Amino acid sequence: MNFTYLFVLIWLALLISGGVLLFSRGFLLARVSKTETSTCRRLSTNPNDEYFLTDEVVNEVFKDVNASAHLCLPQKTKVIILVVDALKYEFGLYKENVKEPLPYENKLKVLQELLEQSPDHARLMRFRADPPTTTMQRLKGLTTGSLPTFIDIGSNFASPEINEDNVIDQIVKSDLPLVFLGDSTWTDLYPRRFKRAYAYPSFDIFDLDSVDNQIMKHLPKELASGDWQVLVAHFLGVDHCGHKHGPLHEEMARKLGEMDAVIRSVVEAMDNETTLLVMGDHGMTASGDHGGDTDDETNALLFAYSKQHRFYGNDTGSDSEMLQQIDLVPTLATILGVPIPYSNLGLINFNLIPEIPVPHLNRFQTLLLHVWQNAQQIYRYFFQYALENKRTFNVDEMDRLETEFILLTHRVQTIYNEAAFKSFVRDLNIHLRDILSTCREIWVRFEPTQMLHGLLFSFLPVFFIFLLVNNSRPADYVRIFKAKEVFYTYLINLAAGVFGYRYYKNFSFKTEEHGVIFFTALASIVILAFHTLRHWASIVENWAAVRRFGHMPTRLLLFGSMAVFFSNSFVIQEAKMLSYLLAGSILVLSHELLRLSARVEFRNKLKVSQLLRSTALRLILASVLAICFIRFAYTLFRCREEQGNCTDFATSGGPGFSLKKPGTGKSYILAVFMIVVYTTLTRLYLRSCGNLTGNSANVLLARYGPTVASICAGGHVLLAHSSIKNIQRSHIDAMALVIYGLLLLQIVVVSVAPLMTFVLPPRTGNTVTINGNESIVPEIFRKMKRMYEGDDDVERRNAIPVVYGLATVYSSIVIAFGVFLALVMIVLLEPRASIGLVICVAVGAILLSVHGILRYRTATSFESCVQPTFTALVGWFLLAHFCFFATSHQTTLSQIEWRAAFVGRTTGLGQSNVISGCLVILNTFCGPIFFFCMYSLLSTETFSLFALFPNLIRSCRNNAGKADATTTLSELANEAVGFDMTRGELTLYEYEDVFLGANFKLAAQFFMLQGLKIFCAMLACTIHCRHLMVWKIFAPRFIYEALATFVSLPALIVGYLLLLRIHRAVDTLIKRINKTKVH
Amino acid sequence: MVSRFDQQKTKHQLFHVSLSLATILICMTYMQYRRNWAHLGSFWDSLVVPIVFIGELLKVVLARFYGRIEDGVLTVKQRQKKATYFTPRELLGGLTLQFLCTLLYAFICIILGAPVLGNYEQTFVLALLMTLLTVSPTVFLLGGGGALQVCFCEKPDFVTKCEDTALNLFKYNALGGILGAWAGSVVAPLDWGRDWQAYPIPNVIGALLGSALGNIYACTHVLYATARVYMTKKRS
Repeated sequence: MNFTYLFVLIWLALLISGGVLLFSRGFLLARVSKTETSTCRRLSTNPNDEYFLTDEVVNEVFKDVNASAHLCLPQKTKVIILVVDALKYEFGLYKENVKEPLPYENKLKVLQELLEQSPDHARLMRFRADPPTTTMQRLKGLTTGSLPTFIDIGSNFASPEINEDNVIDQIVKSDLPLVFLGDSTWTDLYPRRFKRAYAYPSFDIFDLDSVDNQIMKHLPKELASGDWQVLVAHFLGVDHCGHKHGPLHEEMARKLGEMDAVIRSVVEAMDNETTLLVMGDHGMTASGDHGGDTDDETNALLFAYSKQHRFYGNDTGSDSEMLQQIDLVPTLATILGVPIPYSNLGLINFNLIPEIPVPHLNRFQTLLLHVWQNAQQIYRYFFQYALENKRTFNVDEMDRLETEFILLTHRVQTIYNEAAFKSFVRDLNIHLRDILSTCREIWVRFEPTQMLHGLLFSFLPVFFIFLLVNNSRPADYVRIFKAKEVFYTYLINLAAGVFGYRYYKNFSFKTEEHGVIFFTALASIVILAFHTLRHWASIVENWAAVRRFGHMPTRLLLFGSMAVFFSNSFVIQEAKMLSYLLAGSILVLSHELLRLSARVEFRNKLKVSQLLRSTALRLILASVLAICFIRFAYTLFRCREEQGNCTDFATSGGPGFSLKKPGTGKSYILAVFMIVVYTTLTRLYLRSCGNLTGNSANVLLARYGPTVASICAGGHVLLAHSSIKNIQRSHIDAMALVIYGLLLLQIVVVSVAPLMTFVLPPRTGNTVTINGNESIVPEIFRKMKRMYEGDDDVERRNAIPVVYGLATVYSSIVIAFGVFLALVMIVLLEPRASIGLVICVAVGAILLSVHGILRYRTATSFESCVQPTFTALVGWFLLAHFCFFATSHQTTLSQIEWRAAFVGRTTGLGQSNVISGCLVILNTFCGPIFFFCMYSLLSTETFSLFALFPNLIRSCRNNAGKADATTTLSELANEAVGFDMTRGELTLYEYEDVFLGANFKLAAQFFMLQGLKIFCAMLACTIHCRHLMVWKIFAPRFIYEALATFVSLPALIVGYLLLLRIHRAVDTLIKRINKTKVH
Repeated sequence: MVSRFDQQKTKHQLFHVSLSLATILICMTYMQYRRNWAHLGSFWDSLVVPIVFIGELLKVVLARFYGRIEDGVLTVKQRQKKATYFTPRELLGGLTLQFLCTLLYAFICIILGAPVLGNYEQTFVLALLMTLLTVSPTVFLLGGGGALQVCFCEKPDFVTKCEDTALNLFKYNALGGILGAWAGSVVAPLDWGRDWQAYPIPNVIGALLGSALGNIYACTHVLYATARVYMTKKRS
C-alpha cells in the first residue's frame, strides 16, 4: 500500500519540529554551568594540624586580606536542616487574638515559643525563592547558590545529578559526615554523597503521610547517634496536602501540627553545639499549587535556632527580615567552615550564624574574613564567567563593577575597627547585590543565531508546504512524491545529519544538535524547493484558479488566532479569544451554507410550518447549539493570575485562601452524565450506520467496550474525588487501568482487524425483500447492491453478498477509536475538565455535520467533495486548540495538571517517568491530540452523512423543475456532484488515489496551520524578548505551543496511519468479496 | 450603459447615505460632548438610541419621498401593500417583530460572551441598537410581514423600485453594524485600562462605526457608478 505519503508527513513533521527545537534551545538557553570547584585551606584550632590558627597566622592574614581567599575559618557548629516542602511564610506567623484560626494558622506554635523564650537564639525570616518554584529547581538553588535556569522546570520527574559545585559536595570533601532522610529528589541530585540516606520517592502526591512517617521513625535514632555533622530531613506531607486539599483543609492543620511536634522533638534532642534550620523550599498559591513566581509561591519560611550560642545581631549589615534562598549556601558554608561553592552568588547572612569566637581573632575580624571570602568568591566566579562568555555582559557595566571592586579591595586593607567594618560591609553588600541583579538580568539570555535558524527552518517548510502541497491537486501527489525519491530524501538527510554531527565546529555551531538540525533542514529545504520548481507549472495553474480575496472572513479568523501571540493581553485572555474565533468560524460556515443553499426553499410566501421543517433552520439551530456549548465552556475555563478577580490566585495571605476546588457534587454528576450521553450517542450513531452488526473483533469491542469504559470512567470520577475514606486505592486504580487496557486493546484490534462491517453470506434462490426508506440499514443494504452490480441487475441480485456498515466503513472505525481515546482522556482529566472535552466533541460533531452538508451541496466533483472547505479546516484547527482551554487548562507553568500522572498508578504500578510524562501530556494536550487524530473525519464524514440523509441533496439542485419522481437518487447525485455518491464512503475506495492524496493534503494543511501558529509564537517571543512580561506570559505561551506542536504533528500522522490501515483492510475485503462473486 | 443610469435613484442613494453618515456623526458628536463613555450602556441616560431611531425614520421618510414620484406606475399588489401600511395589524406585527428581534439579539449577545447574570440593561441597549440598525428600517419601510418576506424569501413583487433601492442600502448598513459590533469586542481584553473598554461600549461604537463603514462602502459604489457614467458620457 501507499506508505510514501506517510513518510513524507513524517519528514515534514521532523522538519518543523527541528526548527522549533532549535529556536527553543536558543530562546530558553540560560546559564552555562561551570564545573570548577572552590577549595580552601582550613584553619584549625587543633595544634596538630597543618594550618594551626595562631597569632602569627592571623597577623600574616591581616597583612594582606586580599590573599586570604583560600582560607577557611573553623567549623562553628553542627547543622540540622529540616526542609518542610511548601512551608509558606504565613504558616509560621503567629497571630494573637485569633478566635477561630484558619487550618494553617497558629499551628507551628513552637516557633513562637522559642522566639519569645530566647530572641537572640532564634530567628524567623521570610525565605525568598527564585522562580520557578518547583522542588527540584529550589533544591538546586538551595545547594549551589546560583540562579535557576528556566527550562529545567519540565524535568521535575527525572532528576539528573548536579555537576556544578555545591555545598553538599563541599561538605563531603571536608570530611563532614552527612545523613539524609526524606524526599528521594535529594539522592537523585546527590547520589553517593550521604553517609546514611533514608530516601523515599515523592511519587504519589496523594499520599500525605508515608514519607513523613518514615522520617519520623528514623529521625530520633539518627539524632541520638551523633556521628554526623550535617543532618538533612525533607518532609513532603505539607506540599502533598496542598496539592491534594489546598491550604484551607483540616488535613493541613493536622500536617502542620505534626511538623510542630517534629520540630519540638528535634529541639529537645539536639545538643548545644548544633544549629537548627527549618525551612520551606517554596510557598503555595491559594489553591495549594506552586511553580510560578507570585508572592504566594516565592515566600517560604526560614526558622533558625541554636540552643547555646547567640546569633550575630543586626549590626552586621545583614537583612533580618528576609533571606534570599541563594544566601543560604554561603551562610551554611560559613557555619560549617567549608569553602563557599564556586558558582554561588548569595551573601552570608550573619543573622543565622551562631556567634562563636575564633581564637586570636576579634569579632569584627572574624566577620571581615567571612565577608571578604564571600566577596572574592563571587568576584572570581562572575569575572571568570564574563571572560569565558564574552559579549554576555555590557562592557560599560563590567567596567563599572570592576572599578568598584578594585576600590573595595584597597579599602579592605585599611579596616581596623568596627565602625569602619560596618560601613565597608554596607558598601560591599550593595556592590555584590549589584552583581547579582546584573546576572539575573542577563542570565535569561538568548542565542540569536539559533533563534534565527529556528525561525527560518520552521518557516521555510511551512512556506513550501503551502506552495507545493496546498497548491497541488490530490491526484498529483503520486507524481510529486515517488517512493524512491522519498527514500533518497531520507538518505540525503541522513548524510546531511552525519555531516553536521561531524563538522559542526567548523561552522562555529555550539552543539552537535545545532549542526545536525541545521544541515538536515538545509538539505530538506533544497529538496522541497527542487520539488516545487519541478512542478511549478501545475502549481501556478492551480494557484491561478484560487479566487482572489476568497475566504476572506476565514482568513481574518486565522489571522486573529495567530495575532493572539503578539499581545500579552490577548495571551492572557486567549481562552475567550479562541471561543470568539471558533464561534466566528461556525457562523461563517453556517452563513455559507445558508447563502448557497437555503434561501431557495420558500420562493414566494413565508410559511412558518415550512420554516420549522426546513433543514436550514435545523442547521442554524445546530450552529446556535454549538455556540451555546462554547459559551457554556466559559464556566470551565481556568483563570490566570493576571486576570483580575481570579479565585485560583486570590490575594496573598489572610482570608484570601480558597479551598482546593472541592468540585461540588453537581459537577461530578454532570461529568458522569456527560460521559454516559457521549458513549450512548456514539453507540446509537454507529448502530444506525449498521456498524455494530456481526461479530468481528472490532465490532464486539465497539459494542461492549465503551459501555464498560464509561462505567469505569464514571466510577473513577465519583470515587477518586469522593470524601469517602475507606475505599482501597487499588480498586479505584483498577477502573482507570481497565480503560487504559481497553484503549490498548483497541489499538491492537485496529492494527490486526479494523473493519466494523458484517458480510452476510449470499443466499441463492432466496429473494431478499427490502423495504426501502424505512430505516437506514436497508438503505445501505440496497446501495451496496447497486454498487456491486453497477446497474440494477435483478437476476444477479441474490448472488450478491450483503455487507452491513459499508457506507461508513472509514469513519465508523475512526469514531470508535475516538471513543476509547476520549475515555482515556476523560479519566485523566478532572471531572470539570472532562465535561469540557465532551462539549468540544459535541461542537466538533456539529461542525462536521454542518460542513458535511455544505460540502456535498456545493461540491462539483469527487475531488472537491473529499476536500473540506478552508473554513471547516480552520474551524477544526481552532476547535482543537479551544479544547485545551475548555478542559480547564491555562498556559501558565504553575497550572500544569501533575495529578494526571498518578491516575491509576498510585499503588506503585509502573513508576516509570516516561509513562508519567505521557499521561500528563495526554491530559494537557487532550484537545490537539484528540481532534488531530480524528482529522480524517473532515473528509470522510461528508460521505457517510450523505448516506444517512441523502434527500438533503435534492433541494439544492432541482429548482429548475428537473426533479420528477422517477429520477433515482444516484442519478441525482451524479448530476449534482459528478459521481455516484449514494454509495457512501465506498466511493472513497473507488477513487483511492484522490482520497489518499486528499487526506495527505489535509494533514499537510494542518501541519501548515500548526507550523504557522508556532512560528507566530516564536516570532512574538523574538520581538518581545526584552518585554517586561516575557518570562511570565510569552515564554510559557511559547513552551505550551511548542509542546502542542510536538504533540499534534505525531497525532496527525497517527490519524493518517489509521486511515491507511482501514484503507488496506477495505481493500482486502473488497478483493475477497469479488473473489467469492467470481467463483 | 448610459440609458441605465437613473438620476433619481442616484440622488436617493446619495441622500440616504449622507443621512446615515450624518446620524452617526451626530452620535459621535454627542458622545464627544458628553465626554463620559459609561453612559453609553444605560438606556435612560444615553441619547444614542433615540438619535439612531430618528435617523432610521428619516431614511424611511426619504424613501417615501422619492417613492412619491413613481406612484403612478405601481402594480396592484404594490398598491394593496401601500394601503395596508398604517393599519393596526401591520403596526402591531412590526412592533412584535422588532421586539422579538431585540430578544434574539440579546440572546446572541449572551451566547457570544455577554454576562448571563447581570448587565441586563447594557445587553438590552446593545440589542436595541442592533435591532435599530438592522431590522427596524426594513420594518418601518415594509411592515412586519413584508420585512419577514424580504428576509427569508426571494424578492417579493410588492416592493417598489425605490423601496428596493432603500433596502439595498439598508443591507450595507445592517451588515456593517453586525460586523462592527462583532469586531468591537476585540479591544475588550486589552490591558489599556481605559473606561471605554467596559462591556457594551466597544460593541456599541463598533456597531455605529461599522454601519458608517458600510455606508461609505455603498457610497463609493454609487459614486463609482456615477463617475463611470460621467466618463463614458464625456468620452462620447
